[in-house]
Amino acid sequence: MKSFEYCTAEMRWLFASLLLALLSVVHARSFNSSRLLVVTEEITEKDKYSTFWGDLESRGFSLSFASPKSPDLSLFKHGALAYDHLLLLPSKSKGLGPNLTPNMLVNYINANGNILLALSADQPTPPAISSLLLELDIFLPPDRNALVVDHFNFDKASAAEKHDVLLLTSPKPLRNGVRNYFEVDGSIAVPRAVGQVLGNASPLLAPILRAPSTAYSYNPKDEAEAVEELFATGSQLSLISAFQARNSARFTVLGSAEMLENKWFDAKVKSQSGVEGATANRAFAEKLSAWTFQELGVLKVGRVEHYLNEDLPKGTANSSEVGFLDLNPKIYRIKNDVHFSIEISEYVFTHLVPFTLPPTDELQLEFSMLSPFHRIPLVPTSRTANSTVFTATLTLPDQHGIFNFIVNYKRPFMTNIYEKRTVTVRHFAHDEWPRSFAISAAWPWIGGIGVVVAGWVAFVAVWLWSAPAEDGLRKRN
Amino acid sequence: MRLPSSLALAALAFSSACLAASWSFDDATLTVSSKGSGADGGVKEKLSPNSPSSKAITLPAVDTLKIVLTATEGSTGKRPHQAFLTLHEPTTGLEESFPFSLKENGKGKVEVTQKDLPYQLLTSASPLRASLILASFGSSTPYASHAFDLTLQLDTTAPPTAPTTPERYTPKPVINHIFKFQETSGPRVISFFFTLAVLAMLPVLFGAWALLGANVDHLGKAFGSAPIAHGLFLGSVLAMEGVFFMYYTSWNLFQMLPVAGVVGTVAYISGSRALTEVQERRLAGER
Repeated sequence: MKSFEYCTAEMRWLFASLLLALLSVVHARSFNSSRLLVVTEEITEKDKYSTFWGDLESRGFSLSFASPKSPDLSLFKHGALAYDHLLLLPSKSKGLGPNLTPNMLVNYINANGNILLALSADQPTPPAISSLLLELDIFLPPDRNALVVDHFNFDKASAAEKHDVLLLTSPKPLRNGVRNYFEVDGSIAVPRAVGQVLGNASPLLAPILRAPSTAYSYNPKDEAEAVEELFATGSQLSLISAFQARNSARFTVLGSAEMLENKWFDAKVKSQSGVEGATANRAFAEKLSAWTFQELGVLKVGRVEHYLNEDLPKGTANSSEVGFLDLNPKIYRIKNDVHFSIEISEYVFTHLVPFTLPPTDELQLEFSMLSPFHRIPLVPTSRTANSTVFTATLTLPDQHGIFNFIVNYKRPFMTNIYEKRTVTVRHFAHDEWPRSFAISAAWPWIGGIGVVVAGWVAFVAVWLWSAPAEDGLRKRN
Repeated sequence: MRLPSSLALAALAFSSACLAASWSFDDATLTVSSKGSGADGGVKEKLSPNSPSSKAITLPAVDTLKIVLTATEGSTGKRPHQAFLTLHEPTTGLEESFPFSLKENGKGKVEVTQKDLPYQLLTSASPLRASLILASFGSSTPYASHAFDLTLQLDTTAPPTAPTTPERYTPKPVINHIFKFQETSGPRVISFFFTLAVLAMLPVLFGAWALLGANVDHLGKAFGSAPIAHGLFLGSVLAMEGVFFMYYTSWNLFQMLPVAGVVGTVAYISGSRALTEVQERRLAGER
């Protein structure tokens, strides 16, 4: 048979080396999930933030810079994300260009991309941005020129007259049970910020940094003399707002782009009471960008296991020998004792650490058909090198049907966890009911049966082998 | 009242390096009145910048709270950029500010009714802290001080409509399934008593039979003439009871039926021979 070799030895070598080179190039690009695109109109402006870029690059992000007007700017490439994160700096023009329409930004978030949007009071906010934020239930002042001032908490060193550089303390936890990822040592300078008001209805919104109670937002062009109609005041003004979508993609609205500039990273500031110090803007910018770009507050679920917790073979009481157990069975019986465990880690900058619940918070397990029959807390029982194992034991309800083990843990600033495992719960089989001799109320009846049996056998014996009764008795009858 | 404060200001001016004026107010009056009552009805109170009013102010449902004042920078009346009446709810920390409408010389007023207040402040359990804030650009010291405490008298016939509770991501209430009623047996003592009572009937039965003359006198004779038949028959009767006992405790039907068949056959065959022997005794007149 004539076999034609289309691959000589040399060609094979060439092919292999080419493939290897190609693979390495592909390897370098596809495993890099830290591609950050910075969109800024003036490329010269980006030098003002060079310390911030340096910090991001040292954490492993690969930055690209583009102008919104550039024609080949696209967030998507071949149907997948071209960049994992997006940072939008304030632009002077009316919109963000044809490649960054609000619709495309929403699609970007739905595809798990994270966005950090920076606003500035120096430039009017484009209407496209206002309408995008309105979709997320974040309200910007209706005047496109808006500035947050505080005559009580300003930086005397730089804004003694205008009071438009706010000096704030580190933000506190949002409420009881929510972890604070943005705590820094020192005060934070927020120059020329645009205040936002968050809608009350959405659970996906959370303020990261609120204005102090004496702050207010006004329009410097129209309301220079006195402010009569207020957009919002005090802690209702959110200077930095966070939106976490249901797929855990993050959108942060930063009211003051200027607080990321080099000169504010270690500026010397003087508070109203005369206390001098340096700002903690660099540390705060690190925490803010880390949260937005999924380096902080990211939870990962490991193994989810459930098994029957009764009639264990002798000697496996603590069940470290998993081989004895039927792990994650598909079917249980009503009123079985079941043990459930879930392994959760938290990703902190570069590695996974065991997840600890914030104090007063609870991780709950639901055992539900259409609505929960059980909702019980999961307690941390053991720890591995990079995860915590939370367990709970429960008695299955006396209702048969198709049930789900659901761990639904959604909290502000943490990725959403929703784990569902479906099991069938059957009723008692005919031979699983308690036997009658185990039921104490049945003993008289069982005794009665025994008496009947004994009496019957005795009767048979008497009938077969009896002699007629004595004369005395018969005569009496 | 004004003389010592201006003296203090002058002292400050000499002692501090720079002459810093400070915001304050004068001629402040607070009135709570309803529309028709005019200037005579309602509450009227003077407010002082240095100390909060000791009297607790109540705002009924239809009335208006009005504060009239003249804002001053140093000693001259002037309009500050920020002139707010801030109502602060102590338990939740929520607050709302109402701006004054002031003229150039600092004179002006603010009016607040219950309609202007958000639900959370309206339904506060403790009095609201009202503060006056006067501040502006520049280097003058701003003024913010607690002015009075405000209690709200809600209209009981038309309570404020609660807004729908917003969804927040918090732990949900714990649910423990309540199981259906489980049948339990009564006290074991009673079971024991009645079991013993039933078992005691057996000797009573035998006793009654004995009284009536029951006996097994022909046992020897029967076994003498047909030992295998009677032995097998009695054995098979006992064995059948044994089969029933095994079926009750552990065997299933398919294990029990063959054995019962064998035992039954033995009982039939041996029984018919045993009955023949009994018939012989009957014919002999012994029964």
